[in-house]
Amino acid sequence: MRKLFFILAFLLSVSGGVNSQVINKVPLSPRITGYTIDAKLDPATKCVTGKMEAFWVNQTTETVPDIQLHLYMNAFRSNKSTFYKEFGGSPGKDSAAIGWVEIKSFTGKNGIDLLPYMKFIHPDDKNLSDSTVVKVTLPVAAKPGDTVTVKINFVTKLPSQIRRNGYRDDFFFVAQWFPKFGVYEPAGMRQRNIGGWNCHQFHAHSEFYADHSVYDVKITVPKEYVIGTGGMLLNESDADGKTKVQTWRAEDIVDFAWTAWPGYAVFTDQWKQVKITLLIPKTRLEQVERQFTAVKNALEYLDKNVGPYPWPHLTFVDPPAFASGAGGMEYTTLFTSESFYKVPGTIHLPEMVTVHEFGHAYFMGILASNEFEEPWMDEGINSFWEERIMDHYWGENSGMIDLPFLKVSDKSLSRLTYARSGSRQVITNNEYSWNYPHNTYDMMSYEKTATWLYTMMGIIGEDATNEVFREYYKRWAFKHPSGKDFVNVVNDVVKRIYGDKFGPDMNWFFDQTLYGTGVCDYKVESFRSSLQGSKIKNDSTVKSLMVTDSSKMAIVRLDRLGDIMLPVDVLVHFKDGEEIHESWDGKSRFKDYTYYGEKQIQWVKIDPDYKIRMDVDFINNSLTIDPDRVPLRRFSDKLISFMQFLTSIVTL
Amino acid sequence: MKIFKALGSGCHRSLKVWKGILIFWFISLSLVSLVAFPMKGIMKTGFGQSAITGKLLNGIDVEVLSDLGAVYKSLTHSFSAGLLLLLLLWLLINAFLTGGLFNSLKSNDEKFSAGEFFRASARYFLPFMVITLIISAILILLALILIVIPMGGVASPDNPNESVPWLILIISVSLYILISQVFVLVADYARAWQVKNEKPACFRALGFGFSRSFRRFLSSFPMMLIIWLVQTMFVLLVLKVIGNWKPASGFGVFGLFLLSQVLLYIRFLLKAWRYGSVTSLKELNDPLPSSEATVNI
Repeated sequence: MRKLFFILAFLLSVSGGVNSQVINKVPLSPRITGYTIDAKLDPATKCVTGKMEAFWVNQTTETVPDIQLHLYMNAFRSNKSTFYKEFGGSPGKDSAAIGWVEIKSFTGKNGIDLLPYMKFIHPDDKNLSDSTVVKVTLPVAAKPGDTVTVKINFVTKLPSQIRRNGYRDDFFFVAQWFPKFGVYEPAGMRQRNIGGWNCHQFHAHSEFYADHSVYDVKITVPKEYVIGTGGMLLNESDADGKTKVQTWRAEDIVDFAWTAWPGYAVFTDQWKQVKITLLIPKTRLEQVERQFTAVKNALEYLDKNVGPYPWPHLTFVDPPAFASGAGGMEYTTLFTSESFYKVPGTIHLPEMVTVHEFGHAYFMGILASNEFEEPWMDEGINSFWEERIMDHYWGENSGMIDLPFLKVSDKSLSRLTYARSGSRQVITNNEYSWNYPHNTYDMMSYEKTATWLYTMMGIIGEDATNEVFREYYKRWAFKHPSGKDFVNVVNDVVKRIYGDKFGPDMNWFFDQTLYGTGVCDYKVESFRSSLQGSKIKNDSTVKSLMVTDSSKMAIVRLDRLGDIMLPVDVLVHFKDGEEIHESWDGKSRFKDYTYYGEKQIQWVKIDPDYKIRMDVDFINNSLTIDPDRVPLRRFSDKLISFMQFLTSIVTL
Repeated sequence: MKIFKALGSGCHRSLKVWKGILIFWFISLSLVSLVAFPMKGIMKTGFGQSAITGKLLNGIDVEVLSDLGAVYKSLTHSFSAGLLLLLLLWLLINAFLTGGLFNSLKSNDEKFSAGEFFRASARYFLPFMVITLIISAILILLALILIVIPMGGVASPDNPNESVPWLILIISVSLYILISQVFVLVADYARAWQVKNEKPACFRALGFGFSRSFRRFLSSFPMMLIIWLVQTMFVLLVLKVIGNWKPASGFGVFGLFLLSQVLLYIRFLLKAWRYGSVTSLKELNDPLPSSEATVNI
């Protein structure tokens, strides 16, 4: 291992820093930004002192007069910040609890002082008290091809743990901690009309957006601390007997975060070329194996169905219970999971968090969508894949809970959260993250998206869905796709596979699910046998499939109760065992099927395989003349026994 | 030796009063059905003629249940309200019926009489109710002191040592199980004394219960632990069998019902075994110094 450090350190020193290649042979991304940071953690004051040299390359054809940077940590400075105004509450008056970042010096090319050119801006809400975005007017505008290099000395005061960031006692999770470039989007990128910086303030419900960058970070901490980062460790040295210095290198990731705590135990494992490192409390070693299994399953599934995981390293952290607020967050090659001491193997919560957070390496890390503006693209798409992985590896019906008397699949939780939400129609799925009203951010970004993606898979099939994501990866890896770009990929792939089977494109699907507020609800209204020419009035298309020389006919009536119109399968089962499959485009408000002949219908099911998971009520999707009451009777029997035993046990 | 003699005698006595236990079982079933059947009705209404119930054949399906929407809410409300009502009612009925049961258990050779069973139930209802309430209150308080308060103190996520809350929980629950058996013993001794002394005197009965439990601790307590162990293993077995069996036919469901009721009958039998064993142990220890036969409190 030591030998490897020396080799890597040597490579770094001879190859010229952030512009060079150390981890991968060729750059994965356009390298628009890069950071070299020398950071020192003072556990007593909870401050990180940093010296940073960073660059932004104008790879556009536009002349850019300024640069914009995020100062995320200022969200925790006071209750007047946009974060706290939206979040409610206050960081309090205790100076130890608040967080901030202060720029001590800011110089540009040739040492020119840029502080006089710097001002806080508030592009989202005009909140003058918010200081999470800073704009620096460049003395000389950046022409196409120019590189803007800045040197910033800063101090970051870490907050008492909030939003998976900050400290608890001697535990530190250091994220969003340095001044960070926004993304300059030229005209045409992500459907923009005019070029400009995309640099949003820190909101209560928002995550991040950044260019893929190269990071060379030197971290100084007290000797007893164990450090984990999203980079590769190149070098470690003893600073003064009391502190140590570690040099880390990360390439083509959108953020660099790190953690330091003396209580971590470090474990490593390998999946193909990827070295996986797990930092976990020493008291929770029984979780190590299941955590590695979870991350390796996720790697295998996404690698096979979406695209390769391109880094040779991956670190994940299972934070201690007292700092569990750091759990469940992603920084591409570093993420945090969340388990608990003795959490039973039948509850797959730790696995679910691990799979989900790892998945962000793809949906946000590699496919770097704008989490501020289109949160469904990271959280929703990632939830869809998390659910598929959980149910694939941990059981189709037990991906989340696998108790003898209760099995719950991961995808069920998503659907029922969406379907039962009273606010499911208040806003579309395509909103800026801070615009979701009535606490609908989570439900809309995670659950609704995952549910409509499952529905899309139900319509176009699993293979075509996987092909969509492989194509999405191929086109947009290490770029910034927009929602429209994703839709275009779907349209192209579906067209390629199915031709015009689903129409000229799939926009009809996205207009209703992603960009619409309607619900999907199909119902079998009734079916009955009748004499021909009797009172039944039939206004819709009558489909005659059976012999017509009989005086009898069977009529099936289907309703569309919701606004969403999706193609559905209909299965009609006759008493003699014959079954007829129908395909209904689902567009009209009702649909009647008429069958001439003596045969009598036993049951009718719309969407018999439950592929249209957006349907908010599966119960009314079927109708039968003899419903199976066995499960209800069984339930009733068990309930009676349970209550009898319970009353017998709790009384003397 | 005395313990096994008492356990054997308790077993004999409990089998002898099988008709009384049948009354226990029947009332329990009737009472619980009053709560469970309306819930079944609600579910039936919720699912209507849907074919989706087939999805429930493999067990609880949270998606299907959640699709019941408002019906599901009324189902959960019915369950919580029904369970609470049931517990309160059973507290009263249990106090009533145990009077008859203890009375039938006090003799090794008397024949069971349903008339005498109900007469005794009525006669001892009030003292048994008071004994039940006082001992139940003590047990709740004990749970508060031994489990809730210590766990509240250490279960904070701020606790840096994650294993400590678990250790405390295991110790607390173990202690609670051990100590609670002493109070169950007190209640059983008190009730055995009460039926022997016929005239309702619940506080004197409790006094006897405490006195006998502690004076004969070395013989009484291990016996209670043996009974507790057997009963616990039985309940675990029942959970395993009833919990895992998912019959998919009407015949199978009827079989499940029969089996669960037989197991419940055995559960009542085991409870009567405890009552009989404590009564027998009391009798074995009864040729005591006169000062101990009746207790002044």
